[in-house]
This record gives sequence, structure tokens and C-alpha cells, in this order.
Amino acid sequence: MLRFLLARLGAFALTLLAASVVLFLAINVIPGSAAQSALGIDATPQAIARFEATRGLDRPLPVQYLDWLAKVAGGDFGTSFQSGVPVGPELLNRIPVTLELALLAFAVANLIAFPLGAIAAARHRRAADRVFSLLASLLGAVPNFWLATLLVMVFSIWLRWLPPGGYVPLTEDPLANLRLMILPALSLGLVSSALLLRIMRASMLEVLSRDYIRTARAKGAPEGLTIRRHSLRNAAIPYINVAAVELGFLFGSVVVIEDIFQLPGVGSLVLVGIINRDYPVLLGAALAITVFVLVANLIVDLAVGLLDPRRTKGSQA
Amino acid sequence: MTAAFDFHRWRLVILGGVIIGCILIAAIFAPWIAPWSPYDLDYTAMLQGPSAAHWLGTDELGRDTLSRVIHGARISMQVAFIAAGVGLVCGTVIGVTAAYFGGIVDLVLMRLMELLFSFPAILLAVVLMASLGTSVVNAMIAIGIVFIPGFSRLARAATEVVLREQYVESARALGMGHLRILFREIMPNILAPLLVEAAVAFSYAILLESALSFLGLGAQPPEPTWGNMLNTGRGFMAQSAMLSLAPGMAIFLTVLGFNFIGDGLRDALDPHMKD
Repeated sequence: MLRFLLARLGAFALTLLAASVVLFLAINVIPGSAAQSALGIDATPQAIARFEATRGLDRPLPVQYLDWLAKVAGGDFGTSFQSGVPVGPELLNRIPVTLELALLAFAVANLIAFPLGAIAAARHRRAADRVFSLLASLLGAVPNFWLATLLVMVFSIWLRWLPPGGYVPLTEDPLANLRLMILPALSLGLVSSALLLRIMRASMLEVLSRDYIRTARAKGAPEGLTIRRHSLRNAAIPYINVAAVELGFLFGSVVVIEDIFQLPGVGSLVLVGIINRDYPVLLGAALAITVFVLVANLIVDLAVGLLDPRRTKGSQA
Repeated sequence: MTAAFDFHRWRLVILGGVIIGCILIAAIFAPWIAPWSPYDLDYTAMLQGPSAAHWLGTDELGRDTLSRVIHGARISMQVAFIAAGVGLVCGTVIGVTAAYFGGIVDLVLMRLMELLFSFPAILLAVVLMASLGTSVVNAMIAIGIVFIPGFSRLARAATEVVLREQYVESARALGMGHLRILFREIMPNILAPLLVEAAVAFSYAILLESALSFLGLGAQPPEPTWGNMLNTGRGFMAQSAMLSLAPGMAIFLTVLGFNFIGDGLRDALDPHMKD
């Protein structure tokens, strides 16, 4: 188990390092544009040169990267080109918003997908199965930002039940926070539930066709017990793997959803960074989201290891 | 294989094909089908509801919503096809190369793909758009890059299966060159799963393109795209619901159509998946 844990952590660190290289390169493929956009189109070549020299943007990319990495490792994400504000504290303020949104959305997705997927499989080819499968097909084709728009239209503009956007910290007023988080979490969670429902159904159907289920049924075990004790846990393993990918997808989608609901999270910071061509901001925010995704994958890897002891032993580790 | 056409088996593919066919026709013949120009402003008819003259009403500048949705299909379809094409071609080349040559080539290429895979697609696309600059062509490239890892994994897995076949061995024994074996023996045999994946990629490309233009990172106004129409419509939700409904419905139907084709093909081509 310890070897498995260490191997996973090592892989995590390596992936994170490589991911930071990819992000850094992706953002810096076009040189020189940062100074231009920070100083405006009227900036003289001398001003641009001075800007680049003071911020070290005139050095070779590998040097810039190593310098950035060394500072990030020490918690220094640089300062915004646009406002001069340090990026690190800004990220710390925004991380709880994004974490809360993604986790709420993930909870919504699983609370729908896990039971409905299991029921659809248990009631294979009957009414419940057909209804839930159709629901999954339709929901899976809805863009989350359109669903967000529709939810705002219905619940904020027509019914006036919920606010259309804004943010109150959870620690300040939990109820107001939740009221503001419901629509964003639903927009993300409902769409994600579609894929997860299909995975749960397929994985449960696969388990239900196995010999040990037939044995359990043949020896007269009650159907409810067969499903609960023998099927759900086995069906959960492939489900959890896909759920991890989906959680990563949710962390990416916050870029769009936070913008719609004016949530001051990391996702909307990515957009701010892009629109202002503010590279330290963009890099910091994109890296934070990548860390979320990788940590989600790591946790799931470990969880699957606990559920499925075969994983922690032998060649897989 | 029965001689009679098995309608039941292909019904999902046909349904999806009909939906996508209609949207393709709208995209190709947009200037002839659309009742109005998508750019013509009419300050006397702003934010109108549906009427005989404007079936889906007008937007905040008095432009005909139906015409803009029809023209929007052009960019969405173009981006989807080219982006999926970029992903398919680059991914296949990488995947097949990795499987065919194996060893260190395989290791390096696949690790790189795994790395790209670890980024959420939308984040990768958004960051790429930031550095490439906002335009339709760059959206195609950014979305195409997002698809490369998926296609390469699939192509690699399929090639590994084909490489174990005897006809590849005999081709080698006959002294065929690498390229000839790749194109004559391997490619034709790995195409089916890749094309199924392409249908899924189309639907995802439609979603990504509309998300990018929704964020203002895709095609720029006044060029109509479903994404940027939704974005503007958001500002006028209270005055005109149609501005948010029509383009969203267009995205939804297109994605649904491609999903039907993808799911249907997978089920129809793979007898084990029939459930």
C-alpha cells in the first residue's frame, strides 16, 4: 500500500511539473504581446523594451520558466501586469469559490447519476430505464452555459426566486451563499450527470450479467440485497474512474460558468487574464485549475486503490 | 449479414443523420434559405417577438434572429469539421507511429499525449486562444489540438491489434516499406473506430466552439455564431427570451444529432454493445 501511495504521489508531482511547462509554453508561444497590451497600442518601442527588461521578459524562455517555477514553488506567483496586485493572494481569495462551485456541481451530478443509473440498469429495458436513458441523452447535449442562461431566465427573471448572480462568502452568510450557488451548481451538475448516468447504467448492466450475480439469485438471495451487496460496489469502480475525469471537466467548465454568474473564482480570473493579456494572472489561474484537476485524479486513484485491493499490489503499482 | 436493411439497428444513426443533414443544408445554403441578411440593422424593429416577417423575432439591433441562427450554422459546422479533422489526422499519425515503431518513440509520444489529456479541454482551448489570438481559424486549431490525445490513444490501440494480424507479417516478409504497410495494410483496418470517435468529436467541437465564442474568444461580431448570439442574448433576457432560446436550441440539436450518429454507429457496428 505504501509503495502504491508513493508511486502515485511521484507520478502526480511529475505530471504537475510537466503540465506547468505546457501551460508556460502555451501562453508564451507568441512573444512580445504582453508588453504591448499592458502598455497600450501607442507604446513606443523604448517603453516596451523597458517594460520587458524590468519584468525579465527579454530573457530566453527556459530562463523565464525556471525563474517563474522557482518563485511559484515559494508561493510567489508574480504581480499582475495590469494592476500591479500580487497574483498569489488573489488566487487564495478565489480558490474557495471555485472549489465550492465544482464540489457542489459534482455532488449534484453524482446524486442524480448514481441512483438513476443503478435503477435504469436494475429495471433494464423497462419504463424507468427508457425514461432515464432518454433523459441522459438529452441532458448530455445541452451546453452548460445555455442551461445556465435558461435557469437564470426561469428562476431569476420570471419566477424571481433566486438571484441571477453575485457572491457572498460561505463564512459570512451560508444561506445567501447557497442561494447564489444553486443555479451555477445545477448548470454544471445536471449536464455532467448525463454522462455519469450512462456510465453507471452500463457498468451496472455489466456486473448484473456476471456469474456471481446469477449465483446469488439462484441461491435465493433477495433482489435488493443482491443489488446492494454484490453489484453496487463492483459497478462503482469504473464509475468512479469516469467521475474523476468528469470532476476535472467541471473544474475546467468553471471558466464559463463563473463568468455567467459573476462568481469571483479562479475560472473568471482566467478570463480576466486572457482579456487583459495579463500573463502572470492567466498563468497563475490556469495552473491553479490544473492543480485541482490533478489532485482530483490523485484522490480518485487512491480511492479506487482502497475499493479494489488488486490495484495496490502487483504491476499496477 | 442479412440482405434486407435492418432499420431498427440503424435507426439512431438515421435520426442523427437527418438532424445533421438539415443543419448542413442550412449551413451550405444559408444565403438562399435565410429570409433576411444576418447583418442588416433595422432600428425600427429592435427586440421584437416572433412575427410573420421575423419568425424568431429580432435582436437588439433589429437583425433577424432566424437568419442569424441559419448563418451561425456555417461557422459552427466549419469549425467542428476542421477541428475534428485536425484532431483525427494528427492523432492518427501520432497513435499509429507510436504503435508501429514502439519502444522509446511510443513512450515519449504517449506520455506527451497523456499530459495533454490531463488538462480540462475547455481550459486548454481557452489558454491556446489567449496566446494564438481570437479568430475562427485559431479556434479550429485550438479545438483540434484538444482532440489529438483522444484520437492518438484510439489509433494506437487499434494499430496494436492490427499489427498482430498475419497479413501485416506477410507484408513485412514480402519486403514492403514502412509507409506502404502503414497506408495499405494498417490504415484501412483502423478507420472504423476512428470514424465513430470523429462523430463524438464533432459534437464536442460544436460545444467547445460555442463556448469559446460565448466567452468572446471565437469569431468576432458582427459575424453571427451561436455562441456569440447567446452571449449578447444574455443581456436582453428580460426583453426577448427568443434571443437566448433560438441559438441554444441550434447548438443542442446539432450536438444531439452528432451524439445519435456516434452512439448509433457504435452500437450498430459492435454486436456486443447491443443491450
